[in-house]
Amino acid sequence: MAKTTKSYSAFMNFLRTPTPTLIGIFIAVMLLFSLTSENFLTIQNIKGIFNNFAVFGILAAGVTVVMIGGGFDLAIGSTAGLAGIVSAVLLMKGIELPTPLVIFIAIIIGSTVGLINGLIITKVGINPIITTLGTLAFFRGICYFWADLNPRIYNIFIQNLGRIYIGGVFPITTLYIIVAFVILTLILKFSRFGRDLFTIGGNEPLARLAGIPVDRIKIISYVISGFFASIAGLLLISQLGSGRPEYGTGAELEVLTIVVLGGVAVGGGKGNYLGVFIALAIIQTISNGMVLIDVPVYLRMVVKGALLVLVIAIDALRNRKQLQLY
Amino acid sequence: MADIKTTTAAAGKKQRLNNTAILFIILIVLFCVFSYVGRPFFFSRLNLIPMLNNLSFIGIIAAVLTMVMVSGEIDFSIGGNVGLTACLTALLLSKGLPGWLVVIIALAAGAVMGSFNGMLVTIVGVNSIIATIGTMFIWRGIGYTLTNGESILAMNPVIDYIGRGFIFKVIPFPIVLLVVVFVITYVVMSHSKWGRKIYAIGANPLASFLSGINVKKVKFVSFLICGMTASLGGLILTSLSAVGMPQHGQGLELVIVSSIILGGTALGGGRGNILGTLAGILILSVLYNFLTIMNIYYFYIQMVQGAVLILVVSTYEIRQARARRRI
Repeated sequence: MAKTTKSYSAFMNFLRTPTPTLIGIFIAVMLLFSLTSENFLTIQNIKGIFNNFAVFGILAAGVTVVMIGGGFDLAIGSTAGLAGIVSAVLLMKGIELPTPLVIFIAIIIGSTVGLINGLIITKVGINPIITTLGTLAFFRGICYFWADLNPRIYNIFIQNLGRIYIGGVFPITTLYIIVAFVILTLILKFSRFGRDLFTIGGNEPLARLAGIPVDRIKIISYVISGFFASIAGLLLISQLGSGRPEYGTGAELEVLTIVVLGGVAVGGGKGNYLGVFIALAIIQTISNGMVLIDVPVYLRMVVKGALLVLVIAIDALRNRKQLQLY
Repeated sequence: MADIKTTTAAAGKKQRLNNTAILFIILIVLFCVFSYVGRPFFFSRLNLIPMLNNLSFIGIIAAVLTMVMVSGEIDFSIGGNVGLTACLTALLLSKGLPGWLVVIIALAAGAVMGSFNGMLVTIVGVNSIIATIGTMFIWRGIGYTLTNGESILAMNPVIDYIGRGFIFKVIPFPIVLLVVVFVITYVVMSHSKWGRKIYAIGANPLASFLSGINVKKVKFVSFLICGMTASLGGLILTSLSAVGMPQHGQGLELVIVSSIILGGTALGGGRGNILGTLAGILILSVLYNFLTIMNIYYFYIQMVQGAVLILVVSTYEIRQARARRRI
């Protein structure tokens, strides 16, 4: 009896998560664009959509961890920009540090930014959104130290990092995202850190009383976010072939939309990577489709803002309904 | 018993006076130092008048945003609102509408934007920080769409007067507006029933609700007024620059929110005063003006703005934590 209900309830639980709705939305979006644009359902375009996943997917991987713990990270765009331009400068003719060292430095930069965010948020106790808005402006300013250098990427390894297609079809960046999402899912589901993170996101005072080292775990979550932001920065300079200080501007808006659409609760405590992945596909498809059916550039900005507002409104309504039930 | 109460009340009042007074002392010291270091440009008519004009539209928005923040919410969409208002104003003027009508339409647009934010926060129940970050992009995006990313000339006697007119040929009109807005918000916040309600809601929304305050109505109306004020700020900025462009007011939220918090308003609501906001606005305006005078690259100023926001909030959080520990 108990066993049958368990498998039954596991399926019902899956139905109760936003994931089935997301799959429906994804199919609807695909249908819409394949009907309105003849160039949409071509191998070339689908390849492009998948390769455009890269930066936002990697950023979303880190932000999801932070948001499950009840935090927020708006500084990811600036972190990616900073890690990107520093590595681009270090690869320039005349400096040309060895590639592994450059990647290592980029990762250290990203993780340090995450550590700074985490320390300010937990030890000083400021609202995470305000903190990361401040660091967003701060680190973007630092990016402009190298604004005049305009470094180009000639390093083959870095160039290939975000551009190779496995078998000529499957972009390697999508593989990165899948690997990152699977590893993070395993960590969140089966490690002590992951379970503690969900507890903190669900009820922080309770977690504190239960003896969970709340501050330490939150700081680690911000470091993870910074780490992924630095990888995203490397992918940015790889795909764009140069280092510019404005890379990654506004990424936080898109990533926030993706993560919240993917079913990660804004207050924390809820979320899974399957949902985030489908949300990523939906948002990227919409971005791509808007280009194909020639929506004016500036109108796309409105659509993206409206999507974010819509998504968080749905999130608020959904979580309120549950509160009323209990 | 009564004795203790009065002394604690007096101590509280004394301390609040002190905080604002300290801010004004800091302001005077900064002003003197900057006048010396930045001589001869900083303390000159050519610098101070534009600084005051810029300060006027920032201050007007900040005064009303203080009201929203005391009630425990926040509005980040003010910058986008300013951008959209500027575009709308310039566009309508170029279509040949009379100035007074454009002003009314712009303020009405601000009211619509404010009430949209208010609806999201009160009816749907979205966290106001994220909701208004989203609407910030929508407003600015609409501004870009309206003007196609270009700047449009905005020349009209009425609009010109708002930002560059003089009353009695001496006092700049935006400064008059600033003073009027500050006096009104001061009276409302400190001496009216409405102000008391806002403080009560910020301090404890549940208790306010249970004692019969219509929490949602109060919050909605403060968002609406905040939207209208941001539009007024947009009108002043359009007038000062004589163009309407979608980039107007970009990054405004950083400066305004940090000066409000510098002025002593708690991020969580329930605490704060208008005079403190005035001091905060003055200090930050003087600081950023000085950095510009010293020929510092815009992006480094942005960096300083981010750092100032975090520093200011940290200082208040740490002080509050210390005060809590003392109890």
